[in-house]
Amino acid sequence: MKRFDLIVIGTGLAGLTAARTAVEMGAKVLIIGRGMGALTLFGNTIDLLGEIQPETEMAEGIPRWIAAHPEHPYARTGMAGIENALADFRGLFPPPYSFAALGPGNSLLPTGAGTMRPTYLIPATMAAGAAMTPAGTLIVGLRGFKDFQGDTVSLHLKCRGVTLSLPRYGMEGLTALALARLMDEASFRERLGGAIRRQMAAERFIGLPAVLGFRNPAVVLKTLEEITGARVFEIPMLPPSIPGTRVFHRFREELIAKGADFRMGHPVSGANVKYGRCEGITVQNPPLATEYRADRYILATGRFLGGGLWAEMDRIVEPLFHLPVFQPGERGKWFGERFFDPEAHPIHRAGIVTDADLRPVDETGRVVLENVRAAGSILAHHQAIEEKSREGIDIATGFLAAKRALAS
Amino acid sequence: MDLRTEVLIIGGGATGAGIARDLALRGIPSLLVEKGDFTSGASGRNQGLLHSGARYAVTDPEAARECISENRILRRIAPHCIEPTDGLFVSLPEDGPEYRANFIRACEAVGIDTLPLSPREALSMEPRLNPKIIGAVQVPDGAIDPFMLVVENARDAESRGARFLIHTEVTGVIRDGLRIAGVRVCDRITGEEYAIAATWVINATGAWANRILGLAGLKIGIALSKGSMLITNTRLSERVLNRCHPPASGDIIVPNDTVSILGTTSLRAEDMEHYEVTPEEVTFLVVELSRMIPDLKGERFTRAYAGVRPLLQSEETCDDREISRSFALIDHGSCDGIAGLVTITGGKLMTYRLMAEKTVDFLCERMGLHVPCSTHVQRLPGAGQGHTLKDRLARLRRQTPAARGEILCDCELVPREAVDAILREGKVRELQDILHRTRLAKGTCQGGFCVYRLLGLLNELRKAEGSGGSNVVLKGFLEERWKGIRPVLWGTSLKEEELIESIYKGLFNLAPEGPGRPGGGEA
Amino acid sequence: MTKAEEKPVLFPKLPDVCVRCATCMAACPVSRVTPRFPGPKQAGPGAQRFRSASEASVDDWIELCTSCRLCDTVCPAGVPISELNLMAKSKYLNERGRTFRDWLLVRSDLFGELAARYSKIVNPLMKNGAVRWLLDALLRIDRRRALPAYEYPTFRRWFRTRPAPEGGRRKVAYFYGCFTNTNETDVGKAAVDVLEAHGLAVVVPPQRCCGIPRLGVGDLRGAKEMGRWNVDSLLKTVREGLDIVFSSTSCGLMLRHEYGPLLHLPGAEELARRLFDICEYLLCLHEEGKPAVTFQPIPMKAAYFTPCHLRSLDIGLPALELLRLVPGLDVSLIEAECCGLGGLYGFKKEKFAIAEEIGKDLTEAVARMKPDIILTDCEGCRMQIRHLTGLRVLHPVQLLRDALERRGIG
Repeated sequence: MKRFDLIVIGTGLAGLTAARTAVEMGAKVLIIGRGMGALTLFGNTIDLLGEIQPETEMAEGIPRWIAAHPEHPYARTGMAGIENALADFRGLFPPPYSFAALGPGNSLLPTGAGTMRPTYLIPATMAAGAAMTPAGTLIVGLRGFKDFQGDTVSLHLKCRGVTLSLPRYGMEGLTALALARLMDEASFRERLGGAIRRQMAAERFIGLPAVLGFRNPAVVLKTLEEITGARVFEIPMLPPSIPGTRVFHRFREELIAKGADFRMGHPVSGANVKYGRCEGITVQNPPLATEYRADRYILATGRFLGGGLWAEMDRIVEPLFHLPVFQPGERGKWFGERFFDPEAHPIHRAGIVTDADLRPVDETGRVVLENVRAAGSILAHHQAIEEKSREGIDIATGFLAAKRALAS
Repeated sequence: MDLRTEVLIIGGGATGAGIARDLALRGIPSLLVEKGDFTSGASGRNQGLLHSGARYAVTDPEAARECISENRILRRIAPHCIEPTDGLFVSLPEDGPEYRANFIRACEAVGIDTLPLSPREALSMEPRLNPKIIGAVQVPDGAIDPFMLVVENARDAESRGARFLIHTEVTGVIRDGLRIAGVRVCDRITGEEYAIAATWVINATGAWANRILGLAGLKIGIALSKGSMLITNTRLSERVLNRCHPPASGDIIVPNDTVSILGTTSLRAEDMEHYEVTPEEVTFLVVELSRMIPDLKGERFTRAYAGVRPLLQSEETCDDREISRSFALIDHGSCDGIAGLVTITGGKLMTYRLMAEKTVDFLCERMGLHVPCSTHVQRLPGAGQGHTLKDRLARLRRQTPAARGEILCDCELVPREAVDAILREGKVRELQDILHRTRLAKGTCQGGFCVYRLLGLLNELRKAEGSGGSNVVLKGFLEERWKGIRPVLWGTSLKEEELIESIYKGLFNLAPEGPGRPGGGEA
Repeated sequence: MTKAEEKPVLFPKLPDVCVRCATCMAACPVSRVTPRFPGPKQAGPGAQRFRSASEASVDDWIELCTSCRLCDTVCPAGVPISELNLMAKSKYLNERGRTFRDWLLVRSDLFGELAARYSKIVNPLMKNGAVRWLLDALLRIDRRRALPAYEYPTFRRWFRTRPAPEGGRRKVAYFYGCFTNTNETDVGKAAVDVLEAHGLAVVVPPQRCCGIPRLGVGDLRGAKEMGRWNVDSLLKTVREGLDIVFSSTSCGLMLRHEYGPLLHLPGAEELARRLFDICEYLLCLHEEGKPAVTFQPIPMKAAYFTPCHLRSLDIGLPALELLRLVPGLDVSLIEAECCGLGGLYGFKKEKFAIAEEIGKDLTEAVARMKPDIILTDCEGCRMQIRHLTGLRVLHPVQLLRDALERRGIG
């Protein structure tokens, strides 16, 4: 029976970061999960903290914010921890498809609803969007590809928009992934580039849905920019997110190449806990249940969507280790009266409370499991949606959890 | 832009539309005004149950007789608005075999067909029933689509000369001495105000009856009762399921297309505009109905809603026209000294046609016309074009990949052409009007994906409303959707909500109006 | 090695747990190449809300699902999408009826032995242009795809006639799978060699086709019949205290994870606990440090491909880990998901183009990597990769056998 140094439960960005950090430190790692986490859903860029203004240095703005939010996961990692973790992340994406900050603070990128969104690390295929001007931009939609509504985007950004037909009849029902694969083919993207060029009226920026290639996004970008003579950028749209899927595949490829054991698709159904330590986890693959053992564990199972937290009719539970969950009172208090309440819904603060080492604690502050750490959005006291901090929390706490776990 | 009509109907619910149709079939033109879209009152917020009347057989045989008679008529004239599912009245051990025996006798006495079933038979028909049942009785209940029913009535009336003005609210009453002369209205979309002159004004506004009468300084004795319902993500049963016991709250499950509707509660309501489904009502419905379907607690609920219905309080009404114990027609001419004003109130969706018949009979008598009612024999226009669930699924057939690319709502398989057809009719004036007329946003994600696509389509056609662009409409839709979703947010529905919130607030960064957020909100 | 323990914690009614997140759409190989298949989100949990046991099936696009199960592996909510598709396909084909071609192809185990015996006649016929044209026109078996050659003697015959190794060894049973038996006997031979090199004695219990081709055409009843026979036979082996290893990941998936949960065959769980993928088993032996097996250097550049069904077995990549033990072997993972063959799927004329298109990713990845040899555990993938690239494709145990120190065995 193989014994691992570390078992990471959760294959979202937090789990992937933790596993990679551990593998780089030479540990024998099993990473197991279901799905690709928020990466396939909303992961396009790396958000750190949305309220930092473009002119403010992250290294100044964030520590100030942390001081005002001492319970937040960033308070566990500190600015240094965030910076190290982000540097590691960037190292996984060498040029030409690299992630970069375009300024000292956040940049504003256009979204699929035609609004602007603040974000920090941006992949090469989206960078030009930060510089777009309404008068100088053309938004290109693709007929039949309904998860990107080009007219909505151009209307709200107050720029010109066109909708192009795809080259062959029968392509209209194509999914995002199918389109992205077609973009990887030179003949397809050349034809598309030509079609865009014929529609242009001296614009210097072209916005397209985020399907600019799956395997070779940088090549797709280059081709389109060469043919159109303009700067091209992709715009996030309804899930699934192709840029997020690229990130997932890069992590997976790297982890397998470096010897990690990567399992996906079967639920971790139980944990074997004895005397405040986790001795093993059980994975269900009916009719079998297999136990895996490690000295250390990282729980990065996400929130409700990922299954890290589960809401019964009257309380919120953490279904694997049954850890205590910080939560607002009864169900009536979980959500505000309006969808767009100025205050974020109280339920988003719910989650696992930890010590400085990311080990789960109970309401008295006592460590519940000494060899288990929590990372990512399952942690309490953050509001990833409102704060625009989702990826930052995942990466920074995944990194920290692995470092602390292997130091113990 | 003042208008003139012989008969003005206020209220675009089942009763109002039914009256317009009855009048039209008798050759009498009318104009109907409704402040929202069709069925924005109780007609659009009920359980969608085509009663057989069995529910009332023991406690109120007259009401039961009325119901079964109308049931048969509606099946004849509106088969395309009805799914003839049949219903079961299910006896749990605590309901007792005596009530069941009584029930069967009472149904037979009023002419409702019954088929007694053993527990084994019932369970093989509806496997999700509680295995402890002691028996069941099959009756001719069904499921009805109230919106389609009302729109069909309106369409039939319109083809014969009736006119309909939706999003038009009555703001004042015009009197000419002891007689009503018309009303003042306001177009809620454009804000335009004008007058409509009318000889007869029929107040068919349901729970809003006193709001309208108040404009004339009048009042009738009605109480408001709120009933809440829950919608499940999947259809729990083929048939309507009822508890075989004296009518109470939380004892009916009605199948409706791809979902089931659980109901209902009955609480006094103070306000006909502002009411919500409370957590206690939700818990009550789940617990109570899980007696019939035991694993209901693990079921996934997509939405909750409530409707306010008017209850007659017969002691207070000047009721020399008591046509039925279940509804009342009040002639304010003889009761209150304002001739030409008539209120029709009480009743239920099932009896709308009968209520309309009695109202129009009264009008005809006063007008000196002798034309008999024919709404019980004339079929509604779309009758004969039914559709089943599997027809929608068949749209995915591979010979139309282009058409498949244009399916707007993945959950309910609603294609773009359905929306195009509605837009071509030219009658819709806001987003909810489109949503009412299709099954868009009625499925699993409650519009999370399809409304974005729909608004994109409207933008493409340059038809989106408002100066703020379609995102204003989108946010309005999300806020409206929230009312229905919030009461059932636990389990899988909560996961769904996390997804939708992350998309619209996170990925798309839609923000509430307010002080500017750094980099947030609209460009 | 395994134990059946706790029940699943919280698995609410399926398929109702679908939240329409569309992650599955990012994994489905069929919907990424053709809009004719609406994709797992609509084909599975989406369409399920419209299906009714009492109404006729209308989802004729359901046949386009290859049952690769990649959708299951990425669904965060645990919707059993491929199972929903399979049930829908089964009902649809039961109502519409199956073609003679499908009837024939899923019974390949019946005529396989016969074809192998007369392989000297059958093989040239299967290559003959006129015959292929006829098969294409009459049975719609696409003539652009090479049919696998038959071999004689079959693996089973070979095994019966070879000398047994010296006694005193621990025994292990081998489930060879019909393709190994009649079309790729060297895989079986290599499996036996490698197991013996690890100090084991191989027995081959009575066995039949695992039945997975039947699942491919939604024939659950047929699959159940075949499964019942296998469970009865193999349980005897298990009860004698033997483990059973399989070398085909598709057979393994069927035996270990479908006999019980899908087909509800009694005894399937007891059998499942003793079934192992051969590389999984060998890797375990290596980790326990028992056999003194060292591999000779093989200085080659190899590329390993992950069969879809291996992902569903959820054992990681034991073949890759074993191959890394071979000195001099530069082995990397092919970054492509799904070869596209889908078992019998890609042989069918109406699906040939889809299978080709799905395989494009793999073809391009291989062209970038330029390996000397390609290794993969699934016979379907091996056929498809040969068809797409023309390169030499082996089962990992064949290479491992070549890397063994020669011990003078057969």
